[in-house]
Amino acid sequence: MTKSKSSSKFSIVLRLIWRRGEGKFALIVLASWVVVSLVSLVWTPQSLWATDGYHVWAKPSVAHWLGTDGTGADVFSWLMAGARTNLFIAILAVVFAGALGILLMSAMVSRNSALSNVSVVAVDALISIPTVLIALILAVPMGASVAVVIIACGIGYGLNLARIARPQALLAANSDYVGSALSYGASGFSVMLHHILPNAMPTIMVQLSLSAGTAVLAESGLTYLGFGVPSGVPSWGHSLATSVKFINVYPLTVLWPGLIVTIVVVALNVFGDVLRDAIDPVTNPELRRS
Amino acid sequence: MRFVIRRFLLFVVALLAISVVIFAALRILPGDVASVMAGLNAPPERVAQLRSQMGLDRPLVVQYFSWLGGLLQGNFGTSLLTGRSISSTVAMRASVTFPLIVLGLIVALAIGLTLGVVSTLATRPAVRSAFHFIAIVGGAIPALWGGLLLILLFGRGTGLLDVLPSQGFPEAGWGNFGSALASLVLPALTVGIIDGASLMRYTRSALGDVMNSGYMDQAMACGYTRRQAALKVGLRLATPQLVSVVGLMSAGMITGVMVIENLFALPGIGAGLVTDLGNRDLIAVQSELFMLAAFFLFVGFLVDLLHRFLDPRLKHAVQGGVQ
Repeated sequence: MTKSKSSSKFSIVLRLIWRRGEGKFALIVLASWVVVSLVSLVWTPQSLWATDGYHVWAKPSVAHWLGTDGTGADVFSWLMAGARTNLFIAILAVVFAGALGILLMSAMVSRNSALSNVSVVAVDALISIPTVLIALILAVPMGASVAVVIIACGIGYGLNLARIARPQALLAANSDYVGSALSYGASGFSVMLHHILPNAMPTIMVQLSLSAGTAVLAESGLTYLGFGVPSGVPSWGHSLATSVKFINVYPLTVLWPGLIVTIVVVALNVFGDVLRDAIDPVTNPELRRS
Repeated sequence: MRFVIRRFLLFVVALLAISVVIFAALRILPGDVASVMAGLNAPPERVAQLRSQMGLDRPLVVQYFSWLGGLLQGNFGTSLLTGRSISSTVAMRASVTFPLIVLGLIVALAIGLTLGVVSTLATRPAVRSAFHFIAIVGGAIPALWGGLLLILLFGRGTGLLDVLPSQGFPEAGWGNFGSALASLVLPALTVGIIDGASLMRYTRSALGDVMNSGYMDQAMACGYTRRQAALKVGLRLATPQLVSVVGLMSAGMITGVMVIENLFALPGIGAGLVTDLGNRDLIAVQSELFMLAAFFLFVGFLVDLLHRFLDPRLKHAVQGGVQ
């Protein structure tokens, strides 16, 4: 192998995921999500703003693959463009949650007992505040915006992540190898980076993959309530919310956005499950050899 | 006992902290509460009048403490739009939301516990993966869409089966018990099915952990079959963990409930909060947000106590920490 160590590890994990049927499904769906998002930046079958007043709520046709909505806009094009907004939200929410979660986790297992006590207590108390409430509090001064969804999800999932990753981190923090590293004069920061974080990383990655799914769900709910993606910005929640009002008349239009959200969230959840098995060095000898 | 006191103090501190956050969120608005409430084209005199009427011309610290003092006495303020006291409005809305949460929880428990236990005990791979599929897909459905599908299937007027009301709540409220209950069936099913799927996953993993433990070997050595051991010993051992999950889930249900109340046009807490926010009735919003947050923090407090009470092993565990 000429590849660097980390990239070969990455490719081994990918291969292990691909080897399983549901892993294949997850990888294909997630890859399509990224591809569609990128394509939608340069091309959609119809312009997003082209409204066709004569063909409102049209049935699927060659021009409009999934029909049109109440303003005559092309449903398929809006769903394509929605993919990129949801991808953007999911990625930023996960990055934010990961950063906050790792920071809180580090504080919770810190040797400074005042810091660790305060952070454990704070996380315990705040964990029961649901994401939607955080979003509401943010929406009061900020109005409906993509940022509200990202920050609310980031805070909510970050707290969750810290709580879930803490046992693993604590186990590593109390281990003999950390003790010996400290006795050699390693700093707390370096121990965190080289010993504790790698131990907690599998748990963190699985949890973040699940959080990405929850972020997609949260977007649809918050946008429907009017605190999420502002109107005019394409997103799956937006497509779902606009079709809701006319469900009595045009029930078919409502099927597509919900179906896409469900498939993508299933893929993210499955990916998390398969990832859990794939990155476990105990069950995968290939990972130990690399 | 020390644990109870410490946990209670934590609850109080968190309550105070969240009240500061909510208060601050409403004060860092561009402009101020009065100008936002008065609307865009309001004359300055109207804004000034509102400001003094609501006491917004006082220093922030005074405003905060007078609000907090009111909360402590059970005085949540009056809505400027309707002129009614906020606590009575919220109580009325809660009479829709709490039954909805309880019904949803019953559905979720019935689905989640049953399927979770059955799927743990299932031995045939095909059956196991079928249950796995149900759990994964059920948890991935957006609440809004799940509700829509149920309306399309069962809703009166629109649905294929045309059996249940899908819009609104009877004027008379619970005075008209039958139709009040009927109007909550579809919303509760929506909330319950989605949370039931995630509860099923938790049940399976909690019970699965216990199934591999020495307790099970012990029970089976005493003559229990695998199923008896799971139902009589396994479930009891998994209970503390499940109670935590169910507690947090019932609080987290408000997320789904908010969407569902709007979808089914139910006059509950979630839908009311959205309306008040839309109407910029910010004093009401401030108190309602606080009440919701207090409710969640209280549930978290209760769950931790219950968890401790249900798992006698924890009494002898190290003080502090969660587990």
